Formats: sequence, C-alpha cells, structure tokens
Amino acid sequence: MKVNLFILVLVIFFFAAVGFPGCPAPDAVCARLPEMGDGQVTGDGQWGRGDRLWAMGNGKSQDPVHAESPSAGEDVPARKDMKPSGRSQDAFQDEYKDEGQDYDDEPFADERVTIADPIEPFNRLMHRFNDRLYFWLLKPVAEGYKEAVPEPARISVKNFYYHLLFPIRFVNCVLQADLTGAGSEAGRFAINTVWGVGGLLDPSSNQGIELPKQNADFGQTLGLYGVGHGFYIVWPFLGPSSPRDSVDIAGEYVLDPLSYFTPWYTSLGKRPLKMINNASLSLGDYEAVIEAAIDPYIAIRNGYIQYRMKEVQARRAKSLFFRNRKNAAPEAADPPPAN
Amino acid sequence: MFGPPQTMSKKTGGANTAIGYRYAEDTLKGDTDRHVVRQRQIYSQAAYGASGRWEIYGRVGVSDLQIADAFRSSSALTAVSRDSFEENWKFFGTLGAKAYYPVNSVFGVGAFVQGSCNFSNFTDETGGTSGGAPFAADMKVKYLWDVNFGIGVQASVPYGIQLYAGPFVYYTEADAYLSGSVPGIQSGAEKTSLKNASAVGGFFGVAVGLGRGFGLQIEGQYTDRFSAGSAVTYTY
Repeated sequence: MKVNLFILVLVIFFFAAVGFPGCPAPDAVCARLPEMGDGQVTGDGQWGRGDRLWAMGNGKSQDPVHAESPSAGEDVPARKDMKPSGRSQDAFQDEYKDEGQDYDDEPFADERVTIADPIEPFNRLMHRFNDRLYFWLLKPVAEGYKEAVPEPARISVKNFYYHLLFPIRFVNCVLQADLTGAGSEAGRFAINTVWGVGGLLDPSSNQGIELPKQNADFGQTLGLYGVGHGFYIVWPFLGPSSPRDSVDIAGEYVLDPLSYFTPWYTSLGKRPLKMINNASLSLGDYEAVIEAAIDPYIAIRNGYIQYRMKEVQARRAKSLFFRNRKNAAPEAADPPPAN
Repeated sequence: MFGPPQTMSKKTGGANTAIGYRYAEDTLKGDTDRHVVRQRQIYSQAAYGASGRWEIYGRVGVSDLQIADAFRSSSALTAVSRDSFEENWKFFGTLGAKAYYPVNSVFGVGAFVQGSCNFSNFTDETGGTSGGAPFAADMKVKYLWDVNFGIGVQASVPYGIQLYAGPFVYYTEADAYLSGSVPGIQSGAEKTSLKNASAVGGFFGVAVGLGRGFGLQIEGQYTDRFSAGSAVTYTY
C-alpha cells in the first residue's frame, strides 16, 4: 500500500515536471490568477491538504473580489481570457470595474501567483465534493463534537496530532538547512513529550520557553530546491494541493509514528478524528471565505497557492543554503507574456 | 514521591506537569516470610491546582519489580537457579489529591492522599531441581497497589526554595502465584498475599525553582526501607 501510494505520487510528480501527455506545457495553460484577489489568506490562515482544508485559522477574505472571477457557484475556468458565464461581459465588468482598477495599486500586485489548472473540471468536481462533505457531514459532526468536548480537550487533541508529526517537521528542517528550526523542533518535541504529557499540552509555546513552531513539510522542501508546483489538484477528502505538495501525503504516511506503532485500522479513525477536531476549532472560517468569494473554487485555489508561496518564502529566509540566493524556487512566477 | 504540600499551579488555577524518577524499597511480608521489594519508577505527571490550596494529580509511568528471595528454597531437597524475582518495565498509574493551608507567609500545613496500581502483572520464572528431578516454575505478581495518606509541613525559604516534611501511613498489597508446587519454595503453589511490613513512614523533600516555569523536587521517604525520588516540574 505504501509502495503503491508512493509510486502514484512519483508518477504524478514526474508528469507535473515534464508535462502531461497531450497537454501543453504548464506555462501555456497557466491560469492567470488575480493578484491577491479572492480568498486572500492572512494571519495564521491555513490552506492545504487534509485537515487544513477545513482548518483555515483566521483566514479572511479581505480584498474585494477580483473582476475576473466568475460569479458564485459557477464552474467556470479562471483564465483571464475566459468570460464569466451566466451574465454579459459588459455587465460583469461594470459591476466590478472599480475593484479591477484598484488592483494594480495593491502592495501585493508584484506577487502574481500562477498555477496551471489543466484538470480544472476534475478539480471543480472534487472541490464540490469536499464542499458537500464539509457541509453535509463534517460540519454537523464537528458541531456535535464541539458541544460534547470542551475546548481545552480539543486543543489538546490538536496538539497531540501536531506533536506526532514531529519527524516530518524535523527532517524537513534539516533538508531545508534550517538547523535553528530543527533544533527548535527537537526542543519542542522533548519538552512537550516530557512536560506536555506526551504532546497533549504545549509548554514549549509558553512564555519563558517560546520555541517557535516549524511548519516544515516536503512540499516546501521541494519548493526550496527549485521544484515547481506543477499544476493545481484538489484531492477528495484532502483538499487543495499540487503534485509537488502531494509528496507530503506520502511523507506524512511514512514518517507518521502511528503508521508503525499501531494496528493499520487505527489509521481509519485517526484522520477523521483529526479532521473533525480541527474543524470544530475553526467552524465558520471556511464559510467566511466562501461567502466572500464570487467563485469559491478560485478563491481557495488562489489562497492555497499564495499561502504555499508565502510558506516557501518564509522557509527560504530561514535556510542556510537558500536565504542569500535570489528566488531559487519557481514558487510563483509572473504570468507568461501575452503573445 | 508526594511532592510539596502546596500546589505549584498558579493561584488563578492552572496545570503543572512533571517527569519523575523514584527508587523505592520496602519490606513486604507474606504468610510466613518477609521480602525486600525494590521498584524503580519513571513517570509523567499532570496536575491541576488553584488558589495555592488544592491540587489533583495523576501519573502514568513504568516500573520494574524485584522481590528478594522470592524463589529461595527452605528445603534441602530443592535447589533453584536463582532466588530473586525480577521483572522489567510495566505500566502503572497513580492518582492523588492534596490540600494546603498557609499558616503565615513562610509556613503552612497540608494533607494528601495518593494511590497507585500496576496495570499488568509482573512475571518471572525460575528452575532447578527438586528431589533430583528438574523443574521450572513461573511466578506472577498480580494486583500490586498501594494507598498513602499523609500530612506535611512546608516552609518557604529564600531563593524560591520550599522545604517540606511529614509523616504518612500507607498500605501496600500484591498477590503472588507460583505456577507449580515446588517443595521448599516459600510461595508454594497457592496464592500468597504480600503486604507491607510497616504501616507508617516519613517523608522530607526540597523543591527548587529553576526558572522559566521549571522546578526541581528531591524527596526521600523512610518506611521499613529508604526510598528516594526526584522530579522536574513545569508550571503552566
């Protein structure tokens, strides 16, 4: 099972790097996404795979919706050259022309984030599936769970899951040549294991110790070493990702201690509990994002890719190897010049 | 380890945790014989206390067990390969509560109750000859538990050091089973209850703040034998 999953990820990753058969190069199909438009995530907002999809922290959509975004609920590709359906182009542009004009003045205007989306129909389908999964199943369960379990206990569960994935963060800090971060993670692990009751509590973050969390993962590591996202993909249950970041799914499985010390069937309950617990701590955040977005799919795609770009940039600043190099990773690139 | 009578938690209420090590010796008596019992415990403790007056705590840890002369033969016809029972780490749990009353800014008195039990059995085997015939036998020590109640006096001295001492009473019990009847071995084939030989003891200790929320506790206890332990604590 491990081998099959790993091979699948490798195959996807390979095609992401060289291009899919029958598909133009990623740049050619690159969707030109708005500059920090829909679904901009700020603060400690988290976008990502698995539980991150449902645990977006304080992520807020602060900026006006981009003029190019299609109307809510419409499954329309997010290309700049494509017109939103269901309304006239003129009416659409009139309605949002102010926001569109303001865009070039934004401080983030130079951070244009692009990602290919050659399998957008599939992604939209998976996005809708995950959306329904959240509203029909995860949210009601999380609300009941929230009523039944006090918040300190839920935070402890979250701490415990985070604690378990120490090997991933430590290994990636080392691979990213962030030795300070690796030391911090090792210290956090030791202190939280011993005085945090096996990771249920987080004394390392308390005043006086204050060892910062290092959210290092394999996707960031590959990004630091110059591997691009490839294309956008939405995994069922796991949420937005890319072939590069999907390596983290395999990495998490390989380096998760529970994969080795517990019977296989415990994994069946582990991830759902993690998702429910995290969702119970961030109820309303996902709703806030999608309600503020014209097209939630675009909003989440933009938010995800921008969030990951910021993460890689943050990791680069901590890396002994990469912090003095100029943009070693093609994390975000300007859109291809118009022909 | 009982710890100082006063909780380390903040007065507004909060948790404190600890990791500790304890070397314990005591004498347990069976139906006809007495055994020196040694245990080494490593544990993690979580506690919640408030107002400087009360605290409840729980521990989970691992402990070994050694019972001296558990297999010793009193019969000249039975020779055993070794006398002592030894088993390595098994899980145990402890629950406790303490209350404290400050007499003045320096002194205070408190009381505590604490109970422990082992979650699984300790097992060891021995072999030898009995009447010229070889034999092998297993011994299981089941349901090892204890309960302690004590009162303590605490003095807070400069540099954040707390000294404490007091008497306590306790009760310990375990059941020992030998798998086969071996003439001369004390435990025999029957169930033998092991209980503490003495019921009263005393404890004394020191608690020192290490900064950044950490603290160190060192404690000694004397019952029929001497025990000592140490813990590094963290206050949230």
